[in-house]
Amino acid sequence: MTSFFKRTIGRISEGISQPGFWFVFPAGLIVSSLLIYPIFYNIIISFSNKNLLSQSWEFIGWENYLYILADPAFYTALGVSLKWTAASIFLQLLVGFTLALMLNRVKKFQGFFRAALIIPWAFPGIIIALSWQWILNDIYGFLNNMLMNLNLISSPIYFLSDHKIVFITALCINVWFGAPLMMVNILSALQTVPAEQYEAIQIDGAGPLQAFYHITLRHIRTVIGLLLVLRTIWVFNNFEFLFLLTGGGPGTVTETLPMYAYKTGWMLQQLGRASAVTMLLLIILLAVCLVYFYFLDKWEKEDIYE
Amino acid sequence: MNKQHLRITSFICYAALSIYIVISVFPLLWLFFSSFKTPQELTKNTVNLLPQAPTLYYYKRIFFEYKFFGNILNSLVISLSTTLIAIIVSSLAAYGIIRFYPRTGKLMTRFLVTTYMFPPILLAIPYSAIITNLGLINTHVGVIITYLSFSIPFAIWLLLGFFVKVPLEIEEAAMLDGASRFKIFYKIALPIAMPGIIATAIYTFINAWNEFLFALILINSSRKMPVSVGLYSLVGGEIIEWGDIMAASSLTILPSVIFFLIIQNKIASGLAQGSVK
Amino acid sequence: MSYDVLFIIHQGVIMKRLVFSVLILMGTVFSACAKKESNNIVIWHSFTQGARKDFFDNMARKFEAENPGVKIEIEVFPWATFQTKWTTGLSTGSLPDISTGLPTQVADMIRADLLLPLNDVIDSIGRADFYEAPLYAFTKDEKNYGISLYSHAHVLWYRKDILAKNGITPPKTWDELAKAVSTLTKVPDYYGLSFPMAKTDYLSTLFLLLTAERSGDHILEKDGTVVLTSPNMIRNIKYWVDIYKKGSPQSSINFATKEQSDLFYKGKAVFDFNSGFHIGGIIQNSPELSNQIAAVPVPMWKTGDPDNGVIASHIPIVIWKQTKNAKIAKQFLAYILKKENYVPFLHSVPAGMLSTLKSISESEEFYNNPIIAAHRDDVKVIQQAVALGKAPGLVFGPQKGTGIIANQGVIEEMFQNIILNNVPVEKAAKDAEDRLNKLINEIK
Repeated sequence: MTSFFKRTIGRISEGISQPGFWFVFPAGLIVSSLLIYPIFYNIIISFSNKNLLSQSWEFIGWENYLYILADPAFYTALGVSLKWTAASIFLQLLVGFTLALMLNRVKKFQGFFRAALIIPWAFPGIIIALSWQWILNDIYGFLNNMLMNLNLISSPIYFLSDHKIVFITALCINVWFGAPLMMVNILSALQTVPAEQYEAIQIDGAGPLQAFYHITLRHIRTVIGLLLVLRTIWVFNNFEFLFLLTGGGPGTVTETLPMYAYKTGWMLQQLGRASAVTMLLLIILLAVCLVYFYFLDKWEKEDIYE
Repeated sequence: MNKQHLRITSFICYAALSIYIVISVFPLLWLFFSSFKTPQELTKNTVNLLPQAPTLYYYKRIFFEYKFFGNILNSLVISLSTTLIAIIVSSLAAYGIIRFYPRTGKLMTRFLVTTYMFPPILLAIPYSAIITNLGLINTHVGVIITYLSFSIPFAIWLLLGFFVKVPLEIEEAAMLDGASRFKIFYKIALPIAMPGIIATAIYTFINAWNEFLFALILINSSRKMPVSVGLYSLVGGEIIEWGDIMAASSLTILPSVIFFLIIQNKIASGLAQGSVK
Repeated sequence: MSYDVLFIIHQGVIMKRLVFSVLILMGTVFSACAKKESNNIVIWHSFTQGARKDFFDNMARKFEAENPGVKIEIEVFPWATFQTKWTTGLSTGSLPDISTGLPTQVADMIRADLLLPLNDVIDSIGRADFYEAPLYAFTKDEKNYGISLYSHAHVLWYRKDILAKNGITPPKTWDELAKAVSTLTKVPDYYGLSFPMAKTDYLSTLFLLLTAERSGDHILEKDGTVVLTSPNMIRNIKYWVDIYKKGSPQSSINFATKEQSDLFYKGKAVFDFNSGFHIGGIIQNSPELSNQIAAVPVPMWKTGDPDNGVIASHIPIVIWKQTKNAKIAKQFLAYILKKENYVPFLHSVPAGMLSTLKSISESEEFYNNPIIAAHRDDVKVIQQAVALGKAPGLVFGPQKGTGIIANQGVIEEMFQNIILNNVPVEKAAKDAEDRLNKLINEIK
């Protein structure tokens, strides 16, 4: 035992004496101390019957997990979450990529265009919700009144209350908000693609599509991969965007998992169960990220061997 | 590709981009100009962007009745402190990862990404417990500490991309001259990465500026609340005043927009470089 | 190696400075805490706007002046954030001494035993002077845990001009109302009556209760269970689905309080159910309509049915159990209920807030306000409704299900399912009833 301690202490002091240690130590300390406690707290609570309003609680094993996994509302929310995340990410990428490609073509005013396109990214969640609710309002909203003035529609469109279109409306707003980040990052990655490679492949007789696939995509796929990881986590986890915009309604068409967790924990006061929901959320995210990382690793290896 | 073909594609690009710009900028403009409309105009004049009789009515209310200026000051204190601490700590860490732990670096950055997987709402109760135990509830310091938990990982992530570009040769030369590691970091690496650091700083600032949930939970006294919570007080009333909201929103969002315009190209190259290691 | 050692020393200096400055920082924080006077009272309320906010500020300053050494701090948290605020405050121990709250939230607070009984305050003012219903709503085991700061009740508001133009008299029964709604709906000029269903609010529950109380049902019954499938309740549900189809904007599926009221304020709805708050809303938004609105009691199912009251809201003010200055907090509550203080408070939303004390409702001082005087008849209608009305979910005092029926949006979702997905009323009602009862049973 003592030798183990000695060895550990020896290792630790060796680690501390390394010059790099003090560089990463403050960050490591802050991040881990601010995350370890909350994570363990949630894991423990997720196996308990902790109520928001009472201080005492006891362990109840897997009961919370079993309850959630048997609750149809959980699966509805999971379905909405998956659909919402996949569609948002795909469209943000599509729009962001297209914009980046176009911007890359444009020689004059590139700075102006890029600056104007990034603006939505500066909106905090509450202002996104409020400004769009105001613009899309069926009575005094700009869009409906404009469309009616132009005689394009005869009665207002209920963008945020018609259950058939609310999901699409929210999706469009999320793309409006998220595409700029994709765009700027892809654009700057595009600008690192060496021009010689295009010339080389053209000499080989490849068409523009092949050049795009073999060179452009090849060069920027790791950037795209990382962006996808970041954005997927953000969209999947985000609570306030939809909560403030639609409140999960009408019906449950926009009720995502984080909202389900919020309702369970804060409205039903079942904190233990809410923690279990978030643990499940975490597991789903981890699984998704592992897939991303698998591809990222593969691409990085391919990039090195070339 | 011939010249005419090029011209057509670039024309299409300009046209498409111009249309998209209208969509992307419209909400900001609508918000901004609406805040100068009179109460009557807000509901009656729904299709004109520009106010017919511009008024500062709502701004006066926001400043004098709701004392929004105090909220702005609080936000500045919180966001600037968060940014300063996060940038110092993250620059050290990013440099340290690149120079000393290049191999474990990749794993570390992955770990940093996973810190994003915790929904803030899940952190609310444990965080408030930590901050209470530190005796920092209802203080700006408490809010700053929680903001660091999400600012530092992201800042490190962005900064890695900027520090990776610092050429090793200059550092080696300095090392031969007997400079300390820290001196090298601060005299050589830091200045080279400075544009990236500024970009990261502004990004961190905006995220802190926009945060709402932790500020709501950890601050009990309105004198200490940041703008995000102050804004919510306007929305949460029984009688909703769109004009107030538009004015307060404009005030909240304009600094972010201006900052964003300054850094938008830097932030992108950080992410791009960071990934193309 | 030397530079490494140097580096560590350098770091050591930095670390020392860092630790030192952190200590100083914490020192100042702690000393700031320690300086707190023992006679501090913290009040949280949710009146974000105008006169009511000013009232609390003025009361605090006046009370401080009259009681030297006492300091009152007031913080405002909008209704929407108050739930998050007090529940997390509970887990961190940062709660106020006094706060307002929504009735359903206070029911939860009583269940969790977080509040101080106020029997002595009530007795000192004179128990007989308090209206009974508001007291009863916050009473458990003979202990009064909350005093209603003000009450209001839902009545039927209508537009005099539109009814007169169409030769329609104010409806007395639900059938007359339905008929009037379908005649008067002229899209896009105006809608008959909007039926709000946003899940972020609980207006559908309130509206359903309007019809339910008139047929002797309460949704949350005496045994603590929810009943939605009785023949009466099925008829009540069907009634509102019918109103939605006849005269409600399609978007009312997602209407919460503000959208619902806005519609009436902007002159786009002929009828609406609300309290005296509508008078202020109209004056502020469409002053030209302020003479065109009037209130009548909530309709009956049959003419000649006895008026047993419908629903009333009592907005409580409470003292938290963890207070260290219970005596001062209680003094402050009694202080704001003194006539010279309380009447100006009620006047801060004229006709919107009605007194919890009988002597004040009847006093000339209360009517000595231009708006209340101008709407004297409407105020009488509301006062009558308040006196007879029952607080939603609190008809039998605070119960386990009180919060559940209001904050889970189950009834709102039921209506949305019927309207959007064409689920048969009986099935939707059964599903909602089962879900609510299941949620209630899970509470310890």
